[in-house]
Amino acid sequence: MAEQPPIPPPAAAAPPQPPRKVVLPPHRERAHRPWRVRAEEWVRRNLFASPGQTLLTFASLALVGLVIAGAVWFVFFQANWRVITVNRWLLFAGGFPLDEKWRLWLSVALVFPLIGAAYGMWASLGRRDLLFIALAGAFVFFLTAHGDAGPSSSVWFAASLALFFLGYRVCRFVPRETGRPRTLAVRTLAALLALALPLVLIVLMVGGGAQASQFGGFMLNLILAPVGIVGGLLLAVPLALGRASSLRAISWTCTAYIEVIRGAPLIGWLFVALFILEDVISSPLIVRTMIVLAVFTAAYVAEYIRGGLQSLPRGQGEAGHAVGLSHLQTLQVIVLPQALRVSIPPIVGQAIGLWKDTALISIILPLRELVGNSRAAIAQAEFIPDRIEVYAFAAVLFWIVAFMMSRISQRMERAQGVGER
Amino acid sequence: MKRLALLGLVAAVFALAACGGDDGDGDGAAGGDVRGDTVALIEERGALKCGVTDTLPGFGFREPDGSFSGFDIEFCKAIAAAVLGDDAEVEFVAASSSARFELLSAGEVDLLSRVTTITAERDASRAVDFAQTTFYDGQGFVVHADSDIYDAADMGGATICVAAGTTTEQNLDDFFNEQGLSYTPLSGEGSEPQDQFVARRCDVFTSDKSGLAARIASLPNSDDYRFLPLTISKEPLAPGVRDYDSDWKDVVSWVVWGLINAEELGVTSANVDAWAADPPNTAVARLLGVPFEGGETADLGFAVDPQFIQRALRAVGNYGEIYARTVEPLGITRAGTLNALYTEGGILYAPPYR
Amino acid sequence: MATHAPQPPAGLPEPPEVPLVYQRRIRDLLIQALYVAVTALVIAYVVLQLGGREYGFGFLNQPASFDVGNQWLTNIDGTTNSRFTMYLVGVWSTIRVVVLAIALSTVFGILIGVARLSSNWLVSRLAMLFVETFRNAPLFVQIVLWYAVVLFGLPTIQNVINVGDFLFLSNRGIAIPWTVPDGGFWGGPDWMVGVWVAALFAAGGLAFWVRRRRQTAERETGKVQYPNRWALGLFAALALASFILLGMPVAIDRPIVEGTTYAEGMAIYPEFAALLLGLVVYTSAFVAEIVRGSIQALPRGQTEAASAIGLTAYQRLTTVILPQALRQIIPSVTNQYLNVSKNSSLASGVSYFDLFFVANIIQNKIGHAVEVFLLITVTYMLMSLVISLIMNYINRRVTLHSV
Repeated sequence: MAEQPPIPPPAAAAPPQPPRKVVLPPHRERAHRPWRVRAEEWVRRNLFASPGQTLLTFASLALVGLVIAGAVWFVFFQANWRVITVNRWLLFAGGFPLDEKWRLWLSVALVFPLIGAAYGMWASLGRRDLLFIALAGAFVFFLTAHGDAGPSSSVWFAASLALFFLGYRVCRFVPRETGRPRTLAVRTLAALLALALPLVLIVLMVGGGAQASQFGGFMLNLILAPVGIVGGLLLAVPLALGRASSLRAISWTCTAYIEVIRGAPLIGWLFVALFILEDVISSPLIVRTMIVLAVFTAAYVAEYIRGGLQSLPRGQGEAGHAVGLSHLQTLQVIVLPQALRVSIPPIVGQAIGLWKDTALISIILPLRELVGNSRAAIAQAEFIPDRIEVYAFAAVLFWIVAFMMSRISQRMERAQGVGER
Repeated sequence: MKRLALLGLVAAVFALAACGGDDGDGDGAAGGDVRGDTVALIEERGALKCGVTDTLPGFGFREPDGSFSGFDIEFCKAIAAAVLGDDAEVEFVAASSSARFELLSAGEVDLLSRVTTITAERDASRAVDFAQTTFYDGQGFVVHADSDIYDAADMGGATICVAAGTTTEQNLDDFFNEQGLSYTPLSGEGSEPQDQFVARRCDVFTSDKSGLAARIASLPNSDDYRFLPLTISKEPLAPGVRDYDSDWKDVVSWVVWGLINAEELGVTSANVDAWAADPPNTAVARLLGVPFEGGETADLGFAVDPQFIQRALRAVGNYGEIYARTVEPLGITRAGTLNALYTEGGILYAPPYR
Repeated sequence: MATHAPQPPAGLPEPPEVPLVYQRRIRDLLIQALYVAVTALVIAYVVLQLGGREYGFGFLNQPASFDVGNQWLTNIDGTTNSRFTMYLVGVWSTIRVVVLAIALSTVFGILIGVARLSSNWLVSRLAMLFVETFRNAPLFVQIVLWYAVVLFGLPTIQNVINVGDFLFLSNRGIAIPWTVPDGGFWGGPDWMVGVWVAALFAAGGLAFWVRRRRQTAERETGKVQYPNRWALGLFAALALASFILLGMPVAIDRPIVEGTTYAEGMAIYPEFAALLLGLVVYTSAFVAEIVRGSIQALPRGQTEAASAIGLTAYQRLTTVILPQALRQIIPSVTNQYLNVSKNSSLASGVSYFDLFFVANIIQNKIGHAVEVFLLITVTYMLMSLVISLIMNYINRRVTLHSV
């Protein structure tokens, strides 16, 4: 899909053999030169190519030094991390009964191998992923091993991490190329992933577990976001098809739905969940919130899917009809898979967006997720000046998950060649 | 394209049906889903849903382990014990001041026990009924000890921290208008105003006096702050219940009155068991729902059985005990205030329990 | 619609015995009728369920009886003014923050996006770090974090940082010098500043006209006419001349600290600053990614050709690369602008009285959630509409001008 340059290339007689990266020296005999020379070359080319560049480099160095020094000073000398260790349970689990801690860890142990399996199935763990996992893991280990969380938490977490790698390893055995075995494996994994959330809810709630109203803290974010994303995706497909439909009544209502939902901010819709939706759907607030999250996400995802539908050449559908497939079959076998594949990157972007948006639930709703309970933590008189610590901690937790999602999507794109031109 | 449309149609119908299908019994008046029989609802559910604040020390506060504590929390427990026999069967819902009435009318909570002032507008126009007042309060002001502000007149042009969506926000407007002064409000939810005040973002922090005192007392350096000798409003803080449910309101009101009566009669959590077995007089016997000297148990006709105040007492003790356990440790004395018993100069005056 | 008969061109004549329900038009009609019926049913159900409420917008005309802080250029108190007026004050607050956030995040976004592609390894890494850090943390947490930094990181007003009586910095905000209308040395009335602003507009029009003429001449004669320099020079000269002629009707006011408040000058309150900072940092991370993607999507030959004709890196960027990339940038960036307008609703987290916060206060006092929500939604949609219209206009101009 290479674009034709709009301006005719200037008398280019040279054969089209440009270097893959401009920054790399073109010579191939690098390996024969001592590393010192090579390093010198690299530094000169990438940092001190010109006086202007030199200036930029030094300015950047100063900035880096300042930021690192500031961060180190804050994290190790100024911050009072007691606010986190004291409120650990509040921040992670909210009102979840402390005696039922094992249920939380069991859920983690259930979900981790599935994430590992997904990684193994669609992507591979690069050196950077491992580094990231090591860092995040060390962070969690520090939290679990610190203070009164007890050794059991560390054991649970270690086991979960081991299961993550087990899931990854197992799925690495699945052949990469499309075929029966892979299809079977992918379907199994998809089914397991779909079952994961109900299973987790069962683990958390059934048999003397917690009430839904006791869910809180980071755990609540981790429950609400997947529901919103999966629900939104399921709703989005018919919406996108409806908007693309040739039947006016359908396309107009779907368009209206999409535009209205996108017209107001999410906290406006949460306001609806709290103040208005109660009259229409008599269900617990947490369910109404899930509905609103799904309905909100659907409007955005539908637009991406519509973009995917539009990007398909018309011939695709016609070819389907030509080989005698019905409309529904054409849709199911030819059109939708391709449209969805094209729209994966923006959909993942939307999923990350929703994940981050769960942080604003407690502005309006009495559901106390991580940010809501952060506010409760800094209401403790001892910790009033420590709100920077609490919010920074919350930001890091959200960041870890969001970053992981974006990494997975990048790896998936690269592995599948989606979105590459 | 028609199959496409068909599929879209089916899915859309499904989607909309999912939204509309779960119909509620929303036939109540004023605000959709008002359930007329909250007592039965609580018994059926086996838990009381109590809307509380989670950021006010002494009244409603979230502890690091996720539990709640405070004066308002004790009343939730008392009422849960009265209705269900177990003060642990409470689901606390952290209700912001902006959303509290909707939580009540939506059935998200059965009881609002969160430093809520009775006002005419709330009673008349919102789907809330107020039960018996639990705490008589008034709006006060706190400044930094080194501030130049000593009186109302000094507050002209000051930045004032106040909780959003509260009566104090409105009182402030009235008060400054009367005084002919200008001010800059800074409104926030939860403990935000307090934090802004501590950070010296504002000059004055205003709220209900008890709440102010509780917040200031809980600060590590509470001597750095000074109360102004001003009370600009009446703030009777009462539990709220849904409109049109007088059975439930009676239970809530009479648990409050019962706990006050118990204090008048000298019934405490320590002696309630002994006195229930052998009541010293008919008043105590009626209050505890036990027969007096071989007679019949008086059933006064509440929606719960006659021993409900006895259970509440066993769970949390009488009014004085609750006060001493939650508010007093923050240095808010009771003697001489409105919240003392009428026999001791206050206005706590429970109607006779008979 | 054409008639049915010549419809099947592929030699598949429609069998005459097709039942009515299978005929395309009939079927489409049936499906739509069914769909409309079901939709109407659902809507009727919703309306019925919401019917228990009392409706009407009369409550908006009653006195507000609460005050709104963080006002700029207005000083409207809630005792005498209606709830709707207070809502408009909130709308004005939103507009201020949105406009500034859009402008600043565009500038920083482009800078960081370009830095991301810098041949300087360190610079590009730093830009990447910025993008990855701020893109993946929730905006709301970032805003409250900025606010926490401002609130507890800056000194109190008692220990205000004074930069030469010119700029003050404390956790009550930043005070900077600001312009005030002034009689000037002719001793004229304050509205002279209005005359000057009118003169500025006239000068702008004139400069634009000159620029257009010179551009035309340039195109026709092929000689360099410096349209931009001429226009700018003319505008500056006219502005200065009218300023002096009118007796310098604008004075600069330095801020001062009076007790615990800033007086004179202009104070940027911490709530506004935190919200703006959060919006700008977050949005510019996204804009940077868009800019990077759009530049990378350009054919490599463009850069090479530009270097070949001897343009400097800066010229290459401003005259060759960015103008072309703009065509891809603008549609995506429009989405980000729409997000900014919606994300400004997070203001209540930092006590900034935007429209959502004010609406929420009103709703809390009097109920009427449905009406309040309609009001909010319509306002945001209007804002989105305005942003879209402006961006469409810009988009049209940009795509017309570049070859």
